Amino acid sequence: MDLENQKRVLEYYEQYGKDDLVILLGAAEGEAAGLAAETVTLGDPTYAGPLAGVSLGLDVYHICEPEVKAEVDEAVYDEQISMMEMVLDVDDIISEMNAIREQL
Amino acid sequence: MSGYAVLGGASYTLAHTPDMVLHNGTTQTTERVVNPESEYLKELPNHLRSYEEALSYLPNQVYIGNKTPEDLAQMEFPYYDKKTDGNRTGKFGEIMSQSEFIGLIQICDVFDVVKLEKGFAQTIKQTLAEHPLIGAERAAVLDKNETDEAEIQRLVMEEEAEPLYDGGTLVGAVKRAHDIDVNLSAHVMLENLVTKASSVLSLLHLVQTTGIDPGSIEYVIDCCEEACGDMNQRGGGNFAKAAAEIAGLTGASGSDVRGFCAGPAHALIDAASLVQAGTFRAVVVTAGGCTAKLGMNGKDHVKKGLPVLEDCIAGFSVLITADDGQSPQIRTDIVGRHTVGTGSSPQAVIESLVTDPLDKAGLKITDIDKYSPEMQNPDITKPAGAGNVPEANYKMIGALGVKRGEIERKQLVEFVQSHGLTGWAPTQGHIPSGVPYLGFAREDIMSGRLQRVMIIGKGSLFLGRMTNLFDGISFVIDGNAAAKAAETSDAAAKEQTTSTGAGLTEAGSAATVAGTGTPVRIGIAASGSEQGPEEYAEAIRLAGEKGIQVVLIDGENAHEEMESMLESGQIDGAVTMHYPFPIGVSTVGKVVTPAKGRGMYLATTTGTADTDRVRAMVRNAVYGIIAAKAEGIAEPTVGIANIDGARQCEKALIQLSEGGYPIRFAGSSREDGGCIMRGNDLLQASADVMVMDSLTGNLMVKIFSAYATGGGYESTGWGYGPGIGEDFDKVIMIISRASGAPQIAGACEYAARLLKGDVLNVAKSEIAAAKKAGLDDILDGISRPKLDQAEEAVAMPAAEVVTAQIAGIEVMDLEDAVQKLWKENIYAESGMGCTGPVVLISEGNLERAKDILRGSGYIK
Repeated sequence: MDLENQKRVLEYYEQYGKDDLVILLGAAEGEAAGLAAETVTLGDPTYAGPLAGVSLGLDVYHICEPEVKAEVDEAVYDEQISMMEMVLDVDDIISEMNAIREQL
Repeated sequence: MSGYAVLGGASYTLAHTPDMVLHNGTTQTTERVVNPESEYLKELPNHLRSYEEALSYLPNQVYIGNKTPEDLAQMEFPYYDKKTDGNRTGKFGEIMSQSEFIGLIQICDVFDVVKLEKGFAQTIKQTLAEHPLIGAERAAVLDKNETDEAEIQRLVMEEEAEPLYDGGTLVGAVKRAHDIDVNLSAHVMLENLVTKASSVLSLLHLVQTTGIDPGSIEYVIDCCEEACGDMNQRGGGNFAKAAAEIAGLTGASGSDVRGFCAGPAHALIDAASLVQAGTFRAVVVTAGGCTAKLGMNGKDHVKKGLPVLEDCIAGFSVLITADDGQSPQIRTDIVGRHTVGTGSSPQAVIESLVTDPLDKAGLKITDIDKYSPEMQNPDITKPAGAGNVPEANYKMIGALGVKRGEIERKQLVEFVQSHGLTGWAPTQGHIPSGVPYLGFAREDIMSGRLQRVMIIGKGSLFLGRMTNLFDGISFVIDGNAAAKAAETSDAAAKEQTTSTGAGLTEAGSAATVAGTGTPVRIGIAASGSEQGPEEYAEAIRLAGEKGIQVVLIDGENAHEEMESMLESGQIDGAVTMHYPFPIGVSTVGKVVTPAKGRGMYLATTTGTADTDRVRAMVRNAVYGIIAAKAEGIAEPTVGIANIDGARQCEKALIQLSEGGYPIRFAGSSREDGGCIMRGNDLLQASADVMVMDSLTGNLMVKIFSAYATGGGYESTGWGYGPGIGEDFDKVIMIISRASGAPQIAGACEYAARLLKGDVLNVAKSEIAAAKKAGLDDILDGISRPKLDQAEEAVAMPAAEVVTAQIAGIEVMDLEDAVQKLWKENIYAESGMGCTGPVVLISEGNLERAKDILRGSGYIK
């Protein structure tokens, strides 16, 4: 995950706390989504950013996961996401996301 | 001519610079600062390719035009471990070696900041002197080098000069151009000289591949991503003019256009617009490559055991000229823009760049044969985790097509294959951005293999930290309208020459009626010609030579007989004079214009499309388009003669076009452009279809057809043309009493071509399309002059056959005159004779009707 984004996640965590924060990802493929999810839960696997060795254990989802989709207004989802939903390998993304969450 | 600028050609060059990967790529220079002892830096030299390896790399051979994108698509992925024929030169350019490129950098240095080791310089000078595009004169610059290696060492160690290596040996240095100013530091000077040199190399190839006289290039636009200037004007610019100087474009000025990776697409639209506006006739868009991006993904390539594939400095140049009647045209009317308000979701981006412009042009996603977005080579990007960039773009475009119901979900994979391309371009930002395909696209469109392509440029503006916005711009390139029209007429000419018909009424085998395959038969209903019967005989002979069967319809009741023959199918079309068309119908004439001998449709020349002049002109435009389309011009250009009402007509036609009946407006040849046509545009046929009211059109046919004969004999052209209008279902062509044999034969030929092109169905579908786009509402919006409302509604007397005509009534008063006669219990109809509006009545009522109309002031 981008170092700048790691910094912002950490700042939000300090400001709002774990229970009031959900991280929503828009990564284009499973591996990248998994890495980002790992970064905000277990810690930065590349040991390069502010979350290196910091396990925040945050709730994290990809925008294409059914739990999130159910929460979004259907028209907005159609306008903003549905095209990419068709393009992305959603199954792969979901399985990567689940694999990370299972480690928590 | 269409008025669009055309794609005159493109060139693409590479310089293989492995030592610059090590010393100038930012991934490496950054690593050297942060982690000078890193394994990566130690391992990297083992992953550099030799010049021969770079030559035999298929994506590079596609870039310079020796291989095609199809060849690449057929090769099994990945490409780096396979070899192809390693030619140095291709039809679009060349792959230059590093040593020669260093020599070229010095040729491009006019401030003496480049120092080369004397022996190295002499060797390179020989090679460059023999280079067909560089030559002895430019190479002589290298004679000035007196520096030895020790001096170069000193410059690097003591004066912050940037070293130049070849094969690991120090062969030269680039000095700083100012002691303090960082904008003129040795680092920046090298970066800028490299981009200039690679742009120059591409410009030289462009001149060669297109054969253009270099002095005739009027303007150069550079669209790379570097900046040149000093501390007081850091991006002062003009790489364009600097490169044009070295490339010998002595007649050119220029400027730089920037937009990150979208720069080239922006620059091409600028260039096409400058040409279309008539500001310049030949504009070149050019860009050199970028040292900073060499080995950008080197860490991933090295980690995965690949060669460092980003080892070439790329360049390209594109020639945009005024319409040459052949080259593909840049459709500046089908342009997509990512605007400030578009938003950043992928869906919004693709909509703004792809579907918004297509919607405006009435096209579907599948109407574009090939899309050229970011054409990055996946061999480079995939191992670096950035995926297959072009493919990702095609999937997004296809997915949008699925959402819009234009393609089936299951066709998505097929769409990506058939409308997409495999990427082959180096990852130097602006280099892969849409433009690498222009060379192949030009060839494929001109050969007829493709109809239409879309070029898409995208840019990441946020990298400059001035805005968080994304950017993108796109445009369509399609086949040349004039070339398409010429093809149609060539085909028609070929058909006609196969005919043996030479006699008066012998059948020609070639000219056939659409959908039937039967030969065209035309009746000439002749009465009242001033030219005598031998003129008709000669006309029939001339038409026969063109393979058209002609019958002469003689006598007092020629019109009635003509109508019944049309009705019964004895003839397919007719040529006649003084034929009263109903209101709503007017005739689309066709004349030879003197400036270039081009044909031009005059819409219209007789008849009344509408009783209001402006409304009539709007309808006339549609009728003109119908005639041109039926004759094979797929997208005729439309201009409006500069007469009273032209602006109102223009406004209405723009409304119609925007409403979904796309009209291709012509551009005036005058400097101020626009679709309003002046006298010289008429003489030059700046538009395929020239819109005017029918009385003006009538004057024009006469002037164009008889100006060489003094007016008594119309010797050229195709006459006053077919009557076209809603629900009018006959092909009746108008000629005049002064029409000579060549023009009468021309009218027969015009009729035959219209029949072959199924003009009646074309008329039906075009009028339906115009109505769907809101024609009726638009016409209603044009103020109709107030008729005399005091007149109460009058009942129509019983209809009878009307064969007598009363002429001389103002067109505005025509309907009132008819009402006036009805009130007197005389059945009357309005119509249009060749000299103006007429009221039609029965022979028996003629005298009484004249008296009534005279008494009411309608006629004198």
